[in-house]
Amino acid sequence: MEHSSPIERVLRAVALTLVVLFFMFPIFWIVLMSFQTNETILRIPPSVVFEPTLSNYKALLSGRLETAAGTLELNFLRTLWNSIFLSVTSVAVSLLLGVPAAYAFARHKFRGSEDIAFTLLSFRFAPPLLVLLPLTIYFQQIGLANTYIGLIWVYQLICLPLILWIVRGYFEDISADIEYAYRIGGHSWFATFRKIALPLAGPGIAAAGLLAFIFAWNNFVFALVLASADKQPVTVGALAFVTASGIQYGQIAAAIVLSITPTLALALYAQRYLVEGLSLGAVKG
Amino acid sequence: MTTGLSINAVDKFYGPVDRGVHAVKALSMQVEKGEIIALLGSSGCGKTSTLRMIAGFEEVSRGTIALAGREIHTFAPVRRNVAMAFEGYSLYPPLTVRENIGFALKASKLPKATIDERVGEIAKLLEIESILDRYPSSISGGQQQRASLGRALIRDADLHLLDEPMGQLEPQLRAVLRGRIKHFIKERGLTAILVTHDQTEANALADRIAVMEGGELQQFDTPEVIKERPANLFTGTFVGEPPMNVFEAFVSEEGGQIRLKLPDGVSLDYGRDSFAPAVRERLVGRQRVVIGVRPYAVHRDADGVAATVSANQWLGDQTHIAADFAGGSLVLVEHDRTRLALGEPISVRIDPADLHVFDAASGAAISHGAELA
Amino acid sequence: MASLELQGIVKRYKGQAVLDDVSLTVGDGETVVLFGPSGSGKSVLLRLIAGVVDPDAGRILIGGEDVTEVDAEFRGVGMAFQNFALFPHMSAFDNIATPLEARKARPDAIRAGVESVARLLKIGHVLSHKPRALSNGQKQRTALARALAGEPPLLLLDDPLRNVDAKLRFEMRLELPRLLATRGATVVYVTQDYKEAMALGDRIAVMAQGGIRQLGTPEQIYLEPASIEIARLFGDPTINLLDVKPSRDARGIFVGLSNVQVRLDGASEQAVGRDCVIGLRPEALSFVGPDTAGAIPVTVEAETPLNEKVVTLVRTVRGREILVSRPAGTPGPAQSAAHLAVNAKSALLFDRATGSRIGSGRRREVAA
Repeated sequence: MEHSSPIERVLRAVALTLVVLFFMFPIFWIVLMSFQTNETILRIPPSVVFEPTLSNYKALLSGRLETAAGTLELNFLRTLWNSIFLSVTSVAVSLLLGVPAAYAFARHKFRGSEDIAFTLLSFRFAPPLLVLLPLTIYFQQIGLANTYIGLIWVYQLICLPLILWIVRGYFEDISADIEYAYRIGGHSWFATFRKIALPLAGPGIAAAGLLAFIFAWNNFVFALVLASADKQPVTVGALAFVTASGIQYGQIAAAIVLSITPTLALALYAQRYLVEGLSLGAVKG
Repeated sequence: MTTGLSINAVDKFYGPVDRGVHAVKALSMQVEKGEIIALLGSSGCGKTSTLRMIAGFEEVSRGTIALAGREIHTFAPVRRNVAMAFEGYSLYPPLTVRENIGFALKASKLPKATIDERVGEIAKLLEIESILDRYPSSISGGQQQRASLGRALIRDADLHLLDEPMGQLEPQLRAVLRGRIKHFIKERGLTAILVTHDQTEANALADRIAVMEGGELQQFDTPEVIKERPANLFTGTFVGEPPMNVFEAFVSEEGGQIRLKLPDGVSLDYGRDSFAPAVRERLVGRQRVVIGVRPYAVHRDADGVAATVSANQWLGDQTHIAADFAGGSLVLVEHDRTRLALGEPISVRIDPADLHVFDAASGAAISHGAELA
Repeated sequence: MASLELQGIVKRYKGQAVLDDVSLTVGDGETVVLFGPSGSGKSVLLRLIAGVVDPDAGRILIGGEDVTEVDAEFRGVGMAFQNFALFPHMSAFDNIATPLEARKARPDAIRAGVESVARLLKIGHVLSHKPRALSNGQKQRTALARALAGEPPLLLLDDPLRNVDAKLRFEMRLELPRLLATRGATVVYVTQDYKEAMALGDRIAVMAQGGIRQLGTPEQIYLEPASIEIARLFGDPTINLLDVKPSRDARGIFVGLSNVQVRLDGASEQAVGRDCVIGLRPEALSFVGPDTAGAIPVTVEAETPLNEKVVTLVRTVRGREILVSRPAGTPGPAQSAAHLAVNAKSALLFDRATGSRIGSGRRREVAA
């Protein structure tokens, strides 16, 4: 019903709050942890009352980590840069390849087109570990192991199917008549793609790109195996805090906070497109 | 309180009361038992909200609705004893057409023979006998709509609500089904409200039509009165196909003649006695008005006012003629085959008895023919 | 201006022929209406002419030139779509300008072209609006303007009035012939509304199941429909169809309707003794006094007004339903027991088995 009694409204608010608390708690806790020293974190019982410290962030930014066992050299900023570089380049390559492919799959039903599209999607189903070992061996043989190019190539496994399927849904959603109208008006198919299809699928392409960026950013396994220290992204770099003298919870928390900030900001900024893009892709794909 | 339906000062807001979207505004209507009423208007006029409030799918924001002497607007839909045919058919997919139609009767524990007989009867009426044992997914949109109509009409309810009951129907069947459904409802003394945007349907079926626009009831009367005495410019131009011709006019009285000056130097002169004194007084006093004349009331007459033919379209049983006239377009309907060339000059006559005059500012009717509105 | 010629067009989807050997010639400056129920293939045919769909067989000639293999952008036709197909991210002006831009016209020429066609369609004041800010009527006019802007010699209109309300549809129907005449284009117009077809077509091609079933002027289609199927598609209310078996005696051919002999002057001899269906348009029936010769006794079931007419549903003594229409404002049956007279000259006879009309030549002349 359209109208609800005050009790209903209160109950709804309480329920919503509980849900938000449940999902936000880990993030909230991590943020708290990042301002604490290892000692306060490991207190029993845990408490939200502590003296905040910026030492974790300082350590990350300066690249020097003081532990009980001595000073540890860290290259957190380098891994952060690797993450940005790898994710941005991978998504750019995926868009360049995926958007025209998505258009082709949406508009031209040729023999086997469905099969090809499905095969591409099936890359998403396969557990990465399945392909990782052969990939590593091949990459070592052709000299792509531990290179940016090699990593970007492997990241296509993550980004390309995503972009292809979401964007294809968007293209299919554009009435064919709209494109016909432009062509009959005297424009080539390429002009139609550029002036009509691309702008109309714009929100979908943006959403797909964002999503691919987040997936690429969060990737762990590929980078862990295929990249050495200087090419590692943040997700792998955080492993360095598991040191001989114990796990540096404070620094890990700070690293997590720093590394989720870009994706979180992007996601919040483009929330609307993202939901739209996802639901459309889901329905049409 | 009547035995029919009584809607009293009903408001509908989507969102908070007094702040949300005001979909239905202070609607009051009395429907007698045995009447067929049409709620007519374009999309967003509030007709469907009204129907849904009567059925109980939508809460009444303010006001009351009573049916057969009971205040029903707080009841759950099932307790209102109202039958409804939905626009979107909404047949139960796992049941055959026969089971769908007989569903309510089965629930009311009537003997099987009676149910079969009544389903057969209604199926014959709606020409769906041959598809009674098919499932909804395997029949056409028009057939689904007829089945849905049958499911509503078969029930013994205090009120039957029909939401766009014939929108999907095959055009070849429409005229005959309209006649049959009207006959069926009247024969059984059912009370029905249909919601439609199609005035042909409203005119064909309803005893009285409620014309709605912007959530407000514009006029509630018999089709004849709505056509002959539209309450305002909206009703006048909305009801009637082809639509009423309207022109702005400036009224003056010169030498015993009432003169209507239309744009482009066209003027229509009428003898003083063509209008009752009260009308005359109002018209001359008002000066700026809007005049309307129905297409079939425009006659070709050698002594008339000049116009130029811009279209001449024969539809088999009628001819529709459009002419450039007074800076606008004047439409004439003739029941014979007329052959006029484009650009041909004609002269037209509009009798004062066929003239509808509206206030230029408010749109309210001032006069119809010789009489005050 | 350009003529259009279709030769043996075949189009299949998934092995099923949606167009089966369609041939049609449209003369220079002529308007031909493709009329038929949905799924009869008329929209596909229009897209084939436009070049956005390719035929499986057959040839398409525009202005005498074979364009079957020519891409859509080089055919130089204009097309308006049922769902308007406006470019949502462009203003009305930019929408209308697209065909002019394609030919690399100079900006001032584009502006002049768009403004002249916008004036013609009375949308000059909304040119800066995006499609979503336009009313349905304005959208429809913008779509038409875009189709007309390039001054195409051949104009394809795919049910352009389908998605506007009844009032606008009516206004536009009266306005269209003049609009099309000013541009002098050859027009192929698709519709499902028989009134539009009658009003706008120089000729009508009645389509069903992927083929043209009858091609003729509105007069020919309405007065001499080739089959029962076509007779049913034209006219509101629909034509009455009753099973009869014509006989003849010394005074001529007659049929028995409700035990009354109804004389059919001018009916074809071929109909005599055959199982037939008689087609009686509702306007060809009228209420008469009981003493009139050949009057059929009926009971009145319901009266329903329809536009400027009144439609009466009556039932014969044998239980057959008949629809009768008369101009609004004329007297109808006084009581429920009434009598009908048949205007024999406009009665149509069809063979019951094949559905084809019986009767050769120009019966209209006989009627006139």
